Amino acid sequence: MVVIRVPKVPDDAYNPDRPVSGLLKMQIEHMHEAEKRLPTRYRNEIYPNAIKTEGEAAEYIRLVTEGIHEAHADAAARRAKPAKKRKGVIEIAAVADERAERPIRSKAKKRKSGKKN
Amino acid sequence: MPPGLDALKHIVVLMMENRSFDHMLGSVPGIGGIDDAGAFSNPDTTGAPVTPQPLAEFQSQLQPDPDHHFPAVDLQIFGENTAPGRVANMQGFVKSYYNQQQNVAHSHEILYYFKQSDLPVLTTLATEFAVFNRWFASIPGPTICNRAFAHYGTSFGRVDMNLLYINEPFKSIYDRLVGAPPHTSKLYYYDTASSTMEITNLLQHQPEVFGTFDQFLSDCEHGTLPDYSFVEPNYSDHDTDTGEEVANDQHPDHNVRAGELFIASVYNAIKGNAALWANTALLIVYDEHGGIFDHVAPPACVPDQFTATANDTGTGQPFAFDRLGVRVPAILVSPWIPKGTIVSRVFDHASIPATVTKFFLGDYSPRSPRETSADVFIEPQGPAVDPARNLLSLDTMRTDCPDFE
Repeated sequence: MVVIRVPKVPDDAYNPDRPVSGLLKMQIEHMHEAEKRLPTRYRNEIYPNAIKTEGEAAEYIRLVTEGIHEAHADAAARRAKPAKKRKGVIEIAAVADERAERPIRSKAKKRKSGKKN
Repeated sequence: MPPGLDALKHIVVLMMENRSFDHMLGSVPGIGGIDDAGAFSNPDTTGAPVTPQPLAEFQSQLQPDPDHHFPAVDLQIFGENTAPGRVANMQGFVKSYYNQQQNVAHSHEILYYFKQSDLPVLTTLATEFAVFNRWFASIPGPTICNRAFAHYGTSFGRVDMNLLYINEPFKSIYDRLVGAPPHTSKLYYYDTASSTMEITNLLQHQPEVFGTFDQFLSDCEHGTLPDYSFVEPNYSDHDTDTGEEVANDQHPDHNVRAGELFIASVYNAIKGNAALWANTALLIVYDEHGGIFDHVAPPACVPDQFTATANDTGTGQPFAFDRLGVRVPAILVSPWIPKGTIVSRVFDHASIPATVTKFFLGDYSPRSPRETSADVFIEPQGPAVDPARNLLSLDTMRTDCPDFE
């Protein structure tokens, strides 16, 4: 079996201050389009047109990507939450009939009894 | 079925950025690179012939980023010929690069290529497994529309970098698979700061099909890789909680060695799990040539059902998606592939969804005309299939595959 040694990357290869390429500019634009469709609370406060370097681009892209994931996760959690049981039409009608049979108390009486207490 | 195909359970595609075949693999003898180019040269703007030289550098050479938008690639492929019936001659690379800086000496550097010893990972994989020497970008244009072909089998009529609006009825390969349980699929971007390059639309609507490269490594280790995985490199230099991340996509002017390490890490992750290694095929391919020279003229192809207008192309002529882009490096890795395999059939990125769909799902409709006409690099064998088309053809698995460290 042959073992191939892979040369290391020189330290000076890393430059987050490198100006953004046309490719990254386009990715920022696409991400901004996606961000605009997110509910406000998932958006960030970075102004995309002000992004000049790869490091700044990466930070913006990270925030939008995480915002998208968070928004979907929250939506999924809401969908998974059991909804409150609603009363059916027949149940509502039955409650209405029951109320109709009760004696109607006047507001004055209510107030009076309230004062007493 | 041959044992290699019988064992195959996972297909992984790693798509790198913006390098041509001759630039990266041209120095490898006998595979259709520089030694096949004869007296290939390009005229510079003084009319002097310029020949390819093994002088490519890992970084800081291709500045500015060579133009690879549609009009520039048209010039690169056809020289300056705009007449009807023109023939591709690959004579315009130096002139195209000159247009960016008006520097004659600098324009010659677009014809530089790497020595074999410069790229030990890519050239070793090319000679150890199957190298495709007629794999072309899907469009003579830039990144986004080319990568779209790898996901959808079409770019929906786009030849540019604008946001990809997905038009029904053509579903992404991920949609097709996850919509057909128990099939599974994942698109692994490097990290959230690099994210996905070409399919923000998909991320926006189906973030669940995405994962990070760390997840890819974990899925390889634990044997939980999906049927189909697409891996994106890191597109930017950026800080993370764990340290500095160097861009490894090989897009000029990012360091090419960082890409070599990344390719090796994907290979090692698969090979590091013996069970996964036996049942996985890894395709390493580049999205487009990035404006860098290649000597092979791209062929015509079946038109897509879309047409880019003359305004969209910027050349004054419409484009019916009836010609491929410039040749790019492409290598298929599997322990079932004989060492030194050279594949000379024509492929493009539409071959990716075509292959994955055919292998995992069989007949599937609807797909774009470009995808349905694209050749496949892995296909289930049957009485109607020529056994010579099967690249995973060994009867027993190789035990002599290289390791990278």
